[in-house]
Amino acid sequence: MDAWRGFIEGNWNDTIDVRDFINRNYTPYEGDASFLRGATERTKQVYAEVEELLKQEREKGVLDIDVDNVASILSFAPGYVDKGKDIIVGLQTDKPLKRAVNPFAGIRNASQACEAYGYKMSDRVWEQFKFRTTHNDGVFHVYSKEMRAARHAGVITGLPDAYARGRIIGDYRRIALYGMDRLIASKQRDREELQSKTMTEENIRSIEELYKQLDFMDRLKKMAAQYGYDISRPAENAVEAVQWLYFGYLGAIKEQNGAANSIGRISTFLDIYFERDIREGVIDEERAQEIIDDFIIKLRLVRHLRTPDYNDIFAGDPTWVTMSESGIAEDGRHMVTRNAFRVLNTLYNLGSSAEPNITVLWSEKLPESYKKFCAKVSIDTDSIQYENDDLMRPLYGDDYAIACCVSAMKVGKQMQYFGARCNLAKVLLMALNGGRDEISGEQVGPLGDTFDEGVLDYDKVMTAFKKYCSWMAGLYVNTMNIIHYMHDKYAYERLMMSLHDTAVERLMAFGVSGFSVLADSLSAIKHAKVKAVKDERGIISDFVTEGDFPKYGNDDDRVDDIAKWIVEYFYSELSKHETYRGAVTTLSILTITSNVMYGRKTGSTPDGRKKGEPFAPGANPMHGRDVSGALASLNSVAKLRYSCCRDGISNTFSVTPEVLGKCEDDRVSRLVDMLDGYFMQDAHHLNVNVLNRQKLVDAMNDPNLYPNLTIRVSGYAVNFNKLSKQQQQEVINRTFHASI
Amino acid sequence: MRKLTAKIHSFESFATLDGPGTRFAIFFQGCPYRCAYCHNPDTQVFAGGTEYTVDEIVAKAVRFKPYFRHGGGVTLSGGEPLAQAEFIAALEAKLKEHDISCAIDTSGAMPLGSIVRAALDGCDMLILDIKMPDEDRYRKYIGGGLDTVLATLDYAIARGKRIWLRTVIVPDINDSETAIDEYIDLLGDRLKSVEKYELLAFHTLGFDKYVKAGIANPLENTAALDKDALSRLQSYLDTAIKDIIA
Repeated sequence: MDAWRGFIEGNWNDTIDVRDFINRNYTPYEGDASFLRGATERTKQVYAEVEELLKQEREKGVLDIDVDNVASILSFAPGYVDKGKDIIVGLQTDKPLKRAVNPFAGIRNASQACEAYGYKMSDRVWEQFKFRTTHNDGVFHVYSKEMRAARHAGVITGLPDAYARGRIIGDYRRIALYGMDRLIASKQRDREELQSKTMTEENIRSIEELYKQLDFMDRLKKMAAQYGYDISRPAENAVEAVQWLYFGYLGAIKEQNGAANSIGRISTFLDIYFERDIREGVIDEERAQEIIDDFIIKLRLVRHLRTPDYNDIFAGDPTWVTMSESGIAEDGRHMVTRNAFRVLNTLYNLGSSAEPNITVLWSEKLPESYKKFCAKVSIDTDSIQYENDDLMRPLYGDDYAIACCVSAMKVGKQMQYFGARCNLAKVLLMALNGGRDEISGEQVGPLGDTFDEGVLDYDKVMTAFKKYCSWMAGLYVNTMNIIHYMHDKYAYERLMMSLHDTAVERLMAFGVSGFSVLADSLSAIKHAKVKAVKDERGIISDFVTEGDFPKYGNDDDRVDDIAKWIVEYFYSELSKHETYRGAVTTLSILTITSNVMYGRKTGSTPDGRKKGEPFAPGANPMHGRDVSGALASLNSVAKLRYSCCRDGISNTFSVTPEVLGKCEDDRVSRLVDMLDGYFMQDAHHLNVNVLNRQKLVDAMNDPNLYPNLTIRVSGYAVNFNKLSKQQQQEVINRTFHASI
Repeated sequence: MRKLTAKIHSFESFATLDGPGTRFAIFFQGCPYRCAYCHNPDTQVFAGGTEYTVDEIVAKAVRFKPYFRHGGGVTLSGGEPLAQAEFIAALEAKLKEHDISCAIDTSGAMPLGSIVRAALDGCDMLILDIKMPDEDRYRKYIGGGLDTVLATLDYAIARGKRIWLRTVIVPDINDSETAIDEYIDLLGDRLKSVEKYELLAFHTLGFDKYVKAGIANPLENTAALDKDALSRLQSYLDTAIKDIIA
């Protein structure tokens, strides 16, 4: 059968160009959600089996671990949820929710992860890695004393130096559209071309990488063959398109356990196959939904084995199977298809869920019916997030996707060197203390003058802060260069990178935490009287603040201008430094859940926050300080400039259903107003939760009350019951916009 | 020239219940009424509040304009906004320059002098409380008369304004179908010009404000109206007026 029958031809026929294929062939959908179908009996039966396993997993922490086989594409026999009933097949190991050991990033980490759940990594695995350098080994062979000290003090933390970096999106659609053989031939040609060039270090590295890519492309075909599929050829119908694409993703996550392995922007692409099948009378709407439901079930089963430390920064066992949808094409047509609705509909057919991390690329120009359906889904499930397509499209075109929470990249054309974040609130304290860590008392940064006790002078504080920021930026870039050099060398993403153009553009993503604490602290020093207090070690470890000061989150320029300045300044400092492989420097304000951990490692701050107390997540205003209403809070965040925060500005927002309106129609319309109004001001990202604080308090006290309670925390959603008590408390303490 | 200012109790940037769409609500300080069921007793006294100029308030409102796309705008509430009518008229003119629509949420307590009329002329919409169905109960529970309320309504009708009416239902005072009938009789043909008539439930969430403000709470022993009772009365009202209202 002709796999491309009925498709409009274009550049995509001659070269690997999925974007061209999509733009020529997709069908925009203007209607509402009334065409959607519920779950079939088969779907209900299969998902009931899954829910039973999920329940067991919740009780045990992890359901099972394979301690004998090292994770890779061909390490495990084929696995099924229900072999007779699965429509889309394939699991990471031979059984659903059974986790694999992946020691490539660090063997000690892998072993500790086993022990944390009462398992013991087999001697066989230890043997295999005995003479092997892991990514983690490589990094620590090269780290300087200063880097280790900064890492230990928690001023730069969460770096992917002991776990895999993730945030790389393979263009899994290519497998469906072209089949593996065509992709392999294309990579072979690339290799020959590089082989004809001068053998510089960079060129040799690229050729070796191509060797690794080709090796794993071949293995992926073998993996699919184990399940009885021949993916050397293109997909011929909708089920195959989903299956081929999923095999690519599955191979990638069998090989890699990076923090976030996102699946990309796939719904419009797949819709082209669904539309063709429906046109040909092969499937109806019920079947189309059933295929999507089964696919989403597989994505809900993605698991990696993590250590408790890891849970500190990425709480709730997230996998960030981020799935971006909709947005606007460069020719002005919206990219909403029926499939965009079907994906959202899985949250009704299968119930709310943290994964996949459904991300709506919002534009003012999306059809109103789709906007309203999204808003309804948010209100009902608290499971989806929104990012501003009108802001990203000029930078990334119309075929980018979100990796992890808020990181945009052109699919198959850009990849990212993920860099966690540095703690800017702590940098301020170090600036006041001449480079000493206010908690341990150790000298971490360059030796400087400690400020005197008494009222802090804003100009002097700023001079010192800039000096330490500048030092921090240099150290941070250098540390990242080491990490990613070693990651490329020892834990290269062979399969994911085989699904990128060979001449890939690299982004190096830095991040900040303690953002709102720092903005409010500087505002307090500027607008109120802040007295520094020294402890017996001579370290400034507390502050007494007299008078009030403007706080970030109230649409008040006196402090919001400081907030804007912080990111602009830090970004310009980072940009001064050379990056590994010429990567483009980017910055995010995103903490995931590490705002709790970073707070724990930071002394009292001039804004009145006490030692150890959590920061606000991402770019959020500090808990309870945004007192001028929901929209004033949003307006403050909207002021931060995306152009210097290209890796994303995360804002997590909670509002009670009552404040949105009295009936569902009103609530939906008000949420659409809110999203439109926020994004029209060039804001970047919004997590929306519509719920009452009391529900979370009840769930904390009795987890069985709401076993599937899903909430957006910071660029991703979690099952609330999977958070630690401290993290739950932090979520509960956040501002809930309510009124009487 | 004296700079025109108003005494403002507070602002709400995301008001979703006080008019159509998403609204920026401005609560003016001070009210001539003393409703027994008032849930914002701290807005009653004219002493207090923070002074703002027209420009200061317009600057705030403009910041929320992106959220007003689906019929939203500014709602002037209180307290009694029309007690500061001169300011309101000036504010409305400035908001109009910015293409921001404006609703007045009033209890109709103010006599219709020329300044109050000017303020009403400037609004796009009137949200009016019909607190009690007769003069006696207005005197007893509200501390004012019916005449200004009906005069305000008639004036807005004559001016062709969009009109929403609201009534708070309080247990043992007006929580019966008989009371609803009385409201309908009182309003009569005026309902033809009304777009929406909404009943609100008496609640006790404002009780601590009485304590804080040191004001005696006349209904401290009254329980909140339950949700079902409210929706029963609302559907009774809706059915009764469905062929009458605009």
